[in-house]
Amino acid sequence: MNISDTDLLGKPLTESERELLHVYQALKQLAAREDLPPCAASNVRKALSAMWQVTNDLDLQFEQLYDLGV
Amino acid sequence: MAYSEYWNPKNETLPREELQALQLLKLRRLCERAYATTPFHRKRFDAAGFRPDQLNTLDDLRRIPFMTREEWMDSQLATPLFGDLLATEQANAIRYHLTSGTTGRTPIRVLDSMKDWDWISEMWCYGFWAFGVRPADIVYFAFGYGSFIGFWGAHYCCEKMGALVIPGGAQTSEGRIKQIIEMRATTVCSTPTYALHLWQKAREMGVDLAREGRVNKLILSGEPAGSIPAVKRQLEEAWGAKCADTAGMTEVGTIMIFECSHQPGGTHIIEDHYIEEVIDPRTDQPVGYGELGERVVTSFGRGFIPVIRYRTKDMVMKVPANTCTCGRTWDLYEGGIRGRWDDMKLIRGTNVYPRAVEAIIREHPAIDEFQIYIWRKDGQQDEITIKLEVKPGHEAEWAELQQQLTQDLSSAHEGLRFNIERMDYGQLPHFELKAKRLVDVRPIAQYE
Repeated sequence: MNISDTDLLGKPLTESERELLHVYQALKQLAAREDLPPCAASNVRKALSAMWQVTNDLDLQFEQLYDLGV
Repeated sequence: MAYSEYWNPKNETLPREELQALQLLKLRRLCERAYATTPFHRKRFDAAGFRPDQLNTLDDLRRIPFMTREEWMDSQLATPLFGDLLATEQANAIRYHLTSGTTGRTPIRVLDSMKDWDWISEMWCYGFWAFGVRPADIVYFAFGYGSFIGFWGAHYCCEKMGALVIPGGAQTSEGRIKQIIEMRATTVCSTPTYALHLWQKAREMGVDLAREGRVNKLILSGEPAGSIPAVKRQLEEAWGAKCADTAGMTEVGTIMIFECSHQPGGTHIIEDHYIEEVIDPRTDQPVGYGELGERVVTSFGRGFIPVIRYRTKDMVMKVPANTCTCGRTWDLYEGGIRGRWDDMKLIRGTNVYPRAVEAIIREHPAIDEFQIYIWRKDGQQDEITIKLEVKPGHEAEWAELQQQLTQDLSSAHEGLRFNIERMDYGQLPHFELKAKRLVDVRPIAQYE
């Protein structure tokens, strides 16, 4: 998984920011899978939505997730 | 548990140069995406000769054409139901809301996705946290929970924080008062008008909210009155609680501004998620700090319907962040939203703004409800009448009240004569959501 070393302003990530971004990217990968049962797929999207907000607030990404249904 | 004073310390205290760099980066990406995905914006950008790669500084923002409510409505009428504004397929939406449409205009219809709703509630979190709402709070929503977006986002914000939420929908005012007392609510959310109404209703029930309730925070939205000092003073005394103003709009789905616990007499702008410009509505040119102008909003949040340089017609005055002592680096609107540019009425050559009239009326706690009634006498002369209801138990104050109001309103309006008329209690409409107190029955001019 490719994780950026900096935030949107080019500042180095803190340890917690790196971990948060890692979780966000992992959820994106899970949400893209087609083999998850509805209970997993729906709750993964909900978790991804929450992590999108965390990483958005902390300037770690500025992107949309509509292609993942989020 | 010790909490941070800020919901998002990183961005709420970001130095302004960095904040502006962040805004520029987000603006460029927003415009690139809007151009690529939204026919509405692509047509407008092309017509104005604007390309997202022209955004090299924040001042380049002014190359982007303004977006108006009229364009939005026209697009919806041409291509029902949502016009050509959607940036993604309707299948990605989880919620539908619309403006109230009470002015007879086409309502603005909006869709949002799952993460858009996380963002909508997040904006409320900035405001609620800044005013001191914490997980231990018990938050009561005096709100109807319908298609109007209202406090929906605030409800989810409180759930996100871990506060106990009491949804007070579809109840009588008496029922709501009983629940607020019984559940020992610490925070109540409503319009300013309805908070005043609840207090009056509680008095009729023999309930002293300040003494018998546990409410220490009133969070207001939906009307400019939340920042009118006299309204605030009345509410704070009546409820025994601190009072905070917030303001949002259906077009962006949530709030853009909030008052922090330092109560600086204005509302902070959530500047990591919005660009808020203030322009002269006559020349379309930007105005500086301390000058009245029209709010123009660009949102970095709602992705389903990009909102870029949207003319709100809201009247505001921006002041620098250091006007407040809370440490946030975000600028403020002194006095919140001061009304609307299109609310102004011309009476015998004098400009009258409903909010300015309300500010004077609310200096008199004996007044309950009121209406600003504009009419034409003998088909020739415009007249303005303030119709008033006096609170039960204050009837003896009427004569003095009438004289004082006539004088105060006149001296604040270049000597314009106001008629003051007392109505029986309960005769005027009372409101739960946005109050509509301006009635203009003058004939509309017809031109052949």
